[in-house]
Amino acid sequence: MSALTVTFTEDNGTVKELSGETGQSLMQVGRDAGVEGILADCAGSCACATCHVYVDDEWYAKVGAPDAVEAEMLDMVDDVRKPNSRLSCQIKLTEALNGLKVTVAPLG
Amino acid sequence: MNTTNNAGVCPVTGQGAALEQMSLIDPEISARPQAYYDAMRESDPVHYDEKLHMYLISRYEDIQTIQRDPVTFSVKHGYEAQYSAGFFDEFKEILERDGGGYFPDAIMSDPPYHTRIRGLMDRAFTAHRVRELEPLITSVITDVIDKLPATGPVDIVQAFSVPITIRVICEQLGVDQYNADKLSRWSQAVTAQIGRMQNREQMIANAKELCDLQHFLIGHIRDREANPKEDMISDLVHAKIDGSDEPKLTFKEVVSLVRALMIAGNDTTATAMTNLFYILGTQPKVAELLANAADDDRLMSRFTEELLRIEPPVRGLSRMTTKQVELGGKTLPAHAHLLLMYASANDQQEVFACPRDFDMERSNLGRHVSFGGGVHKCIGLSLARLEIRIAAREVAKRLRGIKLEIPVHDIPYLKSVATHSIERLPISYTKI
Repeated sequence: MSALTVTFTEDNGTVKELSGETGQSLMQVGRDAGVEGILADCAGSCACATCHVYVDDEWYAKVGAPDAVEAEMLDMVDDVRKPNSRLSCQIKLTEALNGLKVTVAPLG
Repeated sequence: MNTTNNAGVCPVTGQGAALEQMSLIDPEISARPQAYYDAMRESDPVHYDEKLHMYLISRYEDIQTIQRDPVTFSVKHGYEAQYSAGFFDEFKEILERDGGGYFPDAIMSDPPYHTRIRGLMDRAFTAHRVRELEPLITSVITDVIDKLPATGPVDIVQAFSVPITIRVICEQLGVDQYNADKLSRWSQAVTAQIGRMQNREQMIANAKELCDLQHFLIGHIRDREANPKEDMISDLVHAKIDGSDEPKLTFKEVVSLVRALMIAGNDTTATAMTNLFYILGTQPKVAELLANAADDDRLMSRFTEELLRIEPPVRGLSRMTTKQVELGGKTLPAHAHLLLMYASANDQQEVFACPRDFDMERSNLGRHVSFGGGVHKCIGLSLARLEIRIAAREVAKRLRGIKLEIPVHDIPYLKSVATHSIERLPISYTKI
């Protein structure tokens, strides 16, 4: 495990730069720091869409696209879904994601 | 069927109903509650039901507020006040005397205790892990369809819904020998404890069923203590929480959790499967949609979600306020007993336009509250979704011309404020 930094921009515009560790999910870092809109109702089991974020364009390629199970959950919140949507519980932090920037999606 | 953009044009039912003369424990209203929900949402969204002695929370936003604050709105106290209400001491005595003990539901608790218990359970139920069960669930469902008579009529509850859900959960738990009729009775006896509609005689009969269930489960738990296997009972018996002072679950906790796993998702998922037939038998256009969607994963996922939204099996779970609090324009005192009316929230026009239309293209389908929300959101939701989805897919492939063999207004429902479950649904069909 090694330390890294991630940045969440909440729906209201507040920017939160947070420390996390490799191996954690992005959701865990956001939820533990009380980022607004990262509710994680299903505790990271990819079964709800309450940790939905938009990945900043320059990071999207590194983060990658959702798999089929995640894409089905994102389809359930199509009203706020964008091409760079991801569920933050499915983004596992690695050293390559040090500096990752995301914006929290509205809860609809 | 995409009517999402027609907000405001749907007729609203239930206007003018005399709210104070209605109660959810009236068997007629309990079976057909729509008008009651509509009237509450319209005129008194945090409504005190005098006969039930509970505040019924009928609007979407108020239910969300409650779900986001599990400390002010306690599941533990709400559940305890609901559990075997009116007969609790006698019920507990029967279980202690004849049932191997009284095991309070560990999962129906508040943070921080709840966080510890929930953490152990979550790992078993991730969407990805559950998805690996698809071949198993498909084979259970196709086998049940194979055994259906060629045309019906059959009671789909007993011929389809109940045997499927029981087989799947027993397989997961590692219970290989069981009597399906008994298990079905046990499930109803457990859920009746939060239904508020059992009399004393029924409570005693239900308590006896629970004693039987507990002895059955305790046998399996004791076996797995000595001989661990690859199943959920073994997982719970031997579970360890990293970094905790109390890394293992107590025996009482294990019994309560195994019981919850076996029962909680059983009746409710079966109800959703029965609702599938109810919808297909009453809405030919939906049957046509389903037949065309069977090979499309995205559409099947949407179909499942809309089925859950429009007919939620669990329609009312409880909370209790731990302090005075404002909600929906009312001041609730501490210790107010609340019932969250999920089916009503799912019917709120401002959230789901034309809510009575079965519309699988809704852009906000995932907002329904049929699985609750917040830290207490249903833990088995991925398994429930997958079972319902495969059932819908296989029914679409194999059965045509599904028709109800009784008038809609004669469909019997189980007496419970917690669930809205069809008790018996005779249907006919043609197998292809």
